Amino acid sequence: MKVDRRLIFNFDWMLVLFIALIVGIGVLNLYSAGHGISGEPYLKQIRWVLLGIFVMVLTFAFDYRWIARYAYVVHGLAIVLLIAVFAVGAVTKGSQRWINLGGFSMQPSEMVKITLILALAKYFNDHRAEKKYGIRELVAPFLIVLVPFVLVLRQPDLGTALMLMILFGSMVLFVGIRIKTLLSLVATGLLIIPLGWNFLAEYQKERVLTFLDPERDPLGSGYHIIQSIIAVGSGGIFGKGFMRGTQSQLKFLPEQQTDFVFSVFAEEWGFIGALLLLVLMLSLILWGLKIAQHSRDFLGTLIAYGVTMLIFWGVFINVAMVLGILPVVGIPLPFFSYGGSSMVKMMVAVGLLMNVSMRRYVLQS
Amino acid sequence: MLEKPDKLVRYDPGEYRQRFTFFFWVILVAVCLLVLRLWYLQIIKGEDLLKRSENNRIRIREVKAMRGIILDSRGVVLVENRPSFDVVIFPEDVKDLKGLVEKLETLYAKVNLTFPMDYETILENRRPFTPLRVDRNVSREKLALIETHSLELPGVGIDVMPVREYYYGEMMAHVIGYIGEVSRDDLERDKSAGYRSGDLIGKFGLEKALDPFIRGKAGGEQVEVNVIGKKVKTLGRVEPSQGYRVVLSLDSQVQKAAWTALEGKAGAVVALDPRDGSILALVSRPGFDPNQFNRGITTDLWEKLSTNPLHPMENRAVAGQYPPGSTYKLIVAAAALEEGIITPETAFNCPGHFEMGTRTFRCWRKQGHGRVSLHRAIVESCDVYFYNVGKLLGVDRLAEYAQAFGLGTRTGVALVGERRGLIPTREWKLARFGVPWQPGETISIAIGQGYNTATPIQLANAYAAVANNGDYFTPRIVQRVETDDGEIIEEFRPEKKAVLPVSQENIQLLKKALWGVVNEAGGTGGQARVAGRDVAGKTGTAQVIGMAEGDDGSSYPYEYRDHALFVGFAPRDNPEIAVAVVVEHAGHGGSVAAPVARKVIEAYFAGKTK
Repeated sequence: MKVDRRLIFNFDWMLVLFIALIVGIGVLNLYSAGHGISGEPYLKQIRWVLLGIFVMVLTFAFDYRWIARYAYVVHGLAIVLLIAVFAVGAVTKGSQRWINLGGFSMQPSEMVKITLILALAKYFNDHRAEKKYGIRELVAPFLIVLVPFVLVLRQPDLGTALMLMILFGSMVLFVGIRIKTLLSLVATGLLIIPLGWNFLAEYQKERVLTFLDPERDPLGSGYHIIQSIIAVGSGGIFGKGFMRGTQSQLKFLPEQQTDFVFSVFAEEWGFIGALLLLVLMLSLILWGLKIAQHSRDFLGTLIAYGVTMLIFWGVFINVAMVLGILPVVGIPLPFFSYGGSSMVKMMVAVGLLMNVSMRRYVLQS
Repeated sequence: MLEKPDKLVRYDPGEYRQRFTFFFWVILVAVCLLVLRLWYLQIIKGEDLLKRSENNRIRIREVKAMRGIILDSRGVVLVENRPSFDVVIFPEDVKDLKGLVEKLETLYAKVNLTFPMDYETILENRRPFTPLRVDRNVSREKLALIETHSLELPGVGIDVMPVREYYYGEMMAHVIGYIGEVSRDDLERDKSAGYRSGDLIGKFGLEKALDPFIRGKAGGEQVEVNVIGKKVKTLGRVEPSQGYRVVLSLDSQVQKAAWTALEGKAGAVVALDPRDGSILALVSRPGFDPNQFNRGITTDLWEKLSTNPLHPMENRAVAGQYPPGSTYKLIVAAAALEEGIITPETAFNCPGHFEMGTRTFRCWRKQGHGRVSLHRAIVESCDVYFYNVGKLLGVDRLAEYAQAFGLGTRTGVALVGERRGLIPTREWKLARFGVPWQPGETISIAIGQGYNTATPIQLANAYAAVANNGDYFTPRIVQRVETDDGEIIEEFRPEKKAVLPVSQENIQLLKKALWGVVNEAGGTGGQARVAGRDVAGKTGTAQVIGMAEGDDGSSYPYEYRDHALFVGFAPRDNPEIAVAVVVEHAGHGGSVAAPVARKVIEAYFAGKTK
């Protein structure tokens, strides 16, 4: 394969800078959050970052149009893995999410977020509507999301399942949906919610109830939210300083390397630090939007847009949850939370962004 | 690479510009929402939440002070402290109390123990920010059990409480007393004393009397704890100040001898130094073990102690009021001599009984003593002689002298529960019973019977007064209170109480007679004799009820039998020890009480020569 020189010329250094900054701060924060925990999570996280970079390079090395050809195959593979989880997956904290792949374990539910974006991008690119989409045209793409959605919900992993639906919704909103269709879908959704309530596991119901009123059970499930709010708020303007967060260092914070990693950051770096981090994340997301907008084709736009929304919703839901404005649903903070699957997934997402970005001027081969 | 000409050529991003703008704003608004929330939490509520995070991690814990130790006059340690371990629950560190109690119960059950508190009791008794003691004074085994499982037991801790180790147990229980948890009444009565709920305070004896000196001052510790309430580090500490050390005048050797001599009997012994009033021994039988009171006495044991007919909790040495019997004759004799009613040569005939109106008063010796003067009357304890003297003296004049000897008033010793005893007068009887004094009653009190009562410590001090040629002191049991470095905080110097209104000549006369009681042929106190120590003293046999002639009382039920008394001092010239012995319902003073006194005096001199 002959490397087009324009690829190198158009390499998106800005994107690399954003990612480098965010991942760097993330590892630093994990160093503090995981202090005193056996195995030093930050060291493992560095390994995941390195693996992520490798996968990212792999992702942008091949033209996204070529990748998209196999989108359904890859998505189907991911679904197979999701089914396999029920057969051979490991159970942690009451749900079956992990699968062992020759030496290391991964969460297929993380991987499926990427394959969903690719599959939907391919679908909407291949089946472009003349006007906006109606209910009949949406049946097929809905099936693409419904299968993994149900599987993930059964694990059960409410957060990821919702994320899949949100991604689907974001894509549909972008490609255009008839107003009438949208309204009727929303109405159906509202009718289904009470039914879905019964579908939730006891702990998930508890989380939703507790979100509505954290003080309902301050020592039980409201504990997470209260401790997180205390951690964030006690950081004040300038924070308590690196490694000085009492809430995190004394382990008052639950899940502080994973879902509540932002609380650790906000406690130690204060409003200034948290604001800077959010601005950095916002810059990355807007940069992603820009890449989508300036893609050379619609497929590139859809992929870049989908991936950007993946990052955006991850950041928004996680931070909103940590700050107590959304229920605790277990969505990791992109690039920040400890965990290989999440990190690799995000690096793949960035790889796709880079892929679209660097090929924006390559018109024809 | 891509052979298929795709539809991309037709793609015009301009179509989607509006949608990009829309999502741009959605994202911007969403992030602004997050920033606003951050602003609210960190800047508006920052101060409050900072405080809450401090409350989360900082605990103030009390560090108990050690109570002062107590030594005898020779420096022997009588009371010390040892650590006692309590299992405590810190309520604010427990998230699931019910689960925790269940865990503790199964943990105890594993080693065949039962956890002493149930969930409801704990729930009822817990107070915010106060460690709740769920199991007190636990064994080393339990301690290890809790410690090894500490990670599974968030909010459970071990608290160390210094408790008292009373090395002499029962033997000194009445002097030293015991401690217990401060009661609600104590807390309310004395708010300025700074007692706090759960504190251990002196409840009886010197522990109570000296509590302000011995209890010390609790310190505090500010500790940082983690989420399960385990201490991470100490942020600040105010050391507790230990209680002061107390040095007693008591001599543990003499005390031990007195205690052993009373073995199996009920009664009291008081030994003191006539030269300054220092108490050398103070024993009350039966006793109780103060160690059992350390961490709250069990109801069972308390029931047993409080219903015991012998009242082991009473300190008979200061609170037991006994008819002084013949030991009172010393005072009658002194009064009569001083009042000029008799001279040493005055003699009365003793036919074995004394007629007064229609009543007959018997002498303890049925066949009588014949014609006796003062010396023989004391030596042989002739009752008839003193009936005659008492009749001439009258009740009120006798009472004056008895009071001058310190009877009828508290000696002022620093022990709780001291009682007055009773010296009757005409006025007293009229006020008390509304009936005038009967002349026959004077005859009874002349030999220490009737309304007369005195405590053992009063008797010891009255004889000490004679021994010391008239000067006598307030008995003192504490020499000094000092710091661990020996710096004196308070010294209790001998306090001269009064001088007997008796001439030196008469005192010498009486001392000689008391010496005769023990050392002359026919003396009633021969069993108190100690070779080379010139013991002087007087026996007494106090009737509890009147008995038929010649009856020794052995056929009577225990509580009606006579009390045996002996009060004396040694050596006759320059005495160093005065002893009062009362043995309840035990028979004759000469045969029962005198040997006890002898053992005490022997122990004193044995200790001195060592």
